[in-house]
Amino acid sequence: MYQLKICHLYPDLLNTYGDMGNILSLKRRAQWRGIDVSVTNVTIGDSFDSQEYDIVFLGGGQDYEQEIIQNDVLTQKGAEIKNAVEGSKVFLCICGGYQLMGKYYKTWDGKELEYLGALDLWTIGGKERMIGNIVFESELISDNGSPLKIVGFENHSGRTYLGDNVRPLGKVLSGNGNNGTDGFEGAVYKNVYCSYSHGSLLPKNPHLADHLISIALKQKYDEFDGLNQLEDAFENAARVTMIQRILK
Amino acid sequence: MNFRKILTIIISKLTIRILRILKKGGTTLPGKVAFKLYPDILKSIAKDFEIIMVTGTNGKTTTSRIIEEILKNNNVDYITNKSGANLLSGITTTFIQAVSPLGKPKHKTALIESDEAAFNQVTKHLQPKSVVVTNFFRDQLDRYGELYSTLNAVKSGLDRLDEKTTLILNADDSMCASLGHETEKPVFYYGFGETASQQSLENINTDAMFCIFCKGKYQYKNHVYGHLGGFYCPECGYSRPAADLECIGIEEAESSYTTIKWKYSKALGTDEAEHTTRINLPGLYNVYNAMAAATCGLSLVYSHETVQKAVESFECGFGRMETINVGDKLIKLILVKNPTGFNQVLNFLTLDSQPLNIAFLINDKLADGTDISWLWDVDFEHLNTADDRIVNLITSGIRGEDMAVRLKYSGLDTKKIRIIKDYQRVIDEGLRAVAAGGCFYILPTYTAMLDIRGILKKKFNLKEFWK
Repeated sequence: MYQLKICHLYPDLLNTYGDMGNILSLKRRAQWRGIDVSVTNVTIGDSFDSQEYDIVFLGGGQDYEQEIIQNDVLTQKGAEIKNAVEGSKVFLCICGGYQLMGKYYKTWDGKELEYLGALDLWTIGGKERMIGNIVFESELISDNGSPLKIVGFENHSGRTYLGDNVRPLGKVLSGNGNNGTDGFEGAVYKNVYCSYSHGSLLPKNPHLADHLISIALKQKYDEFDGLNQLEDAFENAARVTMIQRILK
Repeated sequence: MNFRKILTIIISKLTIRILRILKKGGTTLPGKVAFKLYPDILKSIAKDFEIIMVTGTNGKTTTSRIIEEILKNNNVDYITNKSGANLLSGITTTFIQAVSPLGKPKHKTALIESDEAAFNQVTKHLQPKSVVVTNFFRDQLDRYGELYSTLNAVKSGLDRLDEKTTLILNADDSMCASLGHETEKPVFYYGFGETASQQSLENINTDAMFCIFCKGKYQYKNHVYGHLGGFYCPECGYSRPAADLECIGIEEAESSYTTIKWKYSKALGTDEAEHTTRINLPGLYNVYNAMAAATCGLSLVYSHETVQKAVESFECGFGRMETINVGDKLIKLILVKNPTGFNQVLNFLTLDSQPLNIAFLINDKLADGTDISWLWDVDFEHLNTADDRIVNLITSGIRGEDMAVRLKYSGLDTKKIRIIKDYQRVIDEGLRAVAAGGCFYILPTYTAMLDIRGILKKKFNLKEFWK
């Protein structure tokens, strides 16, 4: 029996926009295929050893909570997170968690906060929040041969810019994405997947959830040769209804 | 004589008339018109009223309705904004209806529910005698921004008010209670005593884990739900204040009512005896609403008897546990708008031993919140505890498909979950699955409630909501 070990980083603090949905999606979709799943919560003061996990999830928080974890994540877990990223560990980072993986966050009045620097990207604070439904298209994941359309909801004031080593997760079809100007959304580096999209992201975009589970299992088990199909009628209805409504 | 004011009142009153004739429950447009014509209109006509204001995230409407019952029991001549018209424009409309064309008040007291995000703005125009703040929970982050900015906005609103304004605050909510910290205003608190709630337990998804003053991590002596309970900060010493009205025991928790014991402090009443009270709505959150209203009533020196009677007999209506008789079956409408409120509803639904037939109506219009991520913060997993009693789960509304996904991932049997977009069919098929004597629960978000209520109104002859 395959085993999938999920680590939820700071679940008590970075959980603003239904981030639990992403954990639930990974967990249920693995369980429905008979995979043995564990979810471990790791928060302030806890030790983090990336060897123990197959997928690491980092969600978003309100400014107040982000401030509280700032010190712990940089001094206690930063080195291990960077090691894990370079070692091709699977990560999913949403919104604030996405920003945190970058090099720094510069507030709109010029204050610079040092971030993890695990990924070659950075964020500049804006005065106006970018709020609303978003649809983007990712060539990294196939939906019956065509690029996968992903739907979610974004709510951020930071504008994120990608360096040379990082690819965007997708091209925005409707919404703002990373910075509202270059037309890209999210970031991918090795097996790290970042996005501004919540809603929650994975339950409604099951291809993406399965993609993450697959690459995690492929790393762990040589003989792993893909996931069997699940019945996704509700998921597809939710996804297609919203995509049609937004792109209309 | 201020002709601009008189003209404004007359035009606004006419607008109200016309909207009524057109059968639109126009509660905001007349107020908007009035503000355009005369920006000081509200300040000028509201100043002669004795105003009681109710704000906070959850429980504003129910708390207001219980206070209303207390006013009725004391023969107070009052006006109130009934139908969720709780933004500046709706509140203005309410006052315009309550004055003569010359601006003279036709009533003595005004009981005003104010949206927590609008409160700061509203207090620029109103000087209440009492303000009740129910609680602060995560709600519609797309609209209100972060929770702490909502709290700060309410604080700014309170800071603007006269030093004599009485504050009625939830002692168990570290955010709400912080409003009474270092204020010159008289404050009365209400809350659950240690004996009435459970021992503290770790609750991972909570809104206020860290001290508002020093960012230390709160500890809890006892825990009610969400972040409510006997909090204290080991670092700076900030802790739950002593309550003037305290629930000291829960005797019965049923799916249609709760019987509790409560006790008043000297400051609130002459008698410090314990009273047993049957609250005419289920759920711990309604115990809070009853305590908030009772504390408000007692602080205004209304008698214990009139307060108790109000709590035991009030009816809420308008989607707050509104009950509709359909032959030998019942429909109950329960508004849901954020995770904490939703969790409380699921809690008391699972208390019952009856079969469960539930429709979830989820919209994502502005008044509902355009972001539905919050559904993933609701503990639908709790429904698994009543799995064998679940007969039929219908999901509907603009985001009915997303709701079906949410239920599926909670681990419930997908064979019991159906997406039905047409409300007429939701009602018909929902009722059909209910056995005689049973109940069909409809849980809508705000605009879905307005829509389905419109259909139920036609079908079963409900009251117009603005009356």
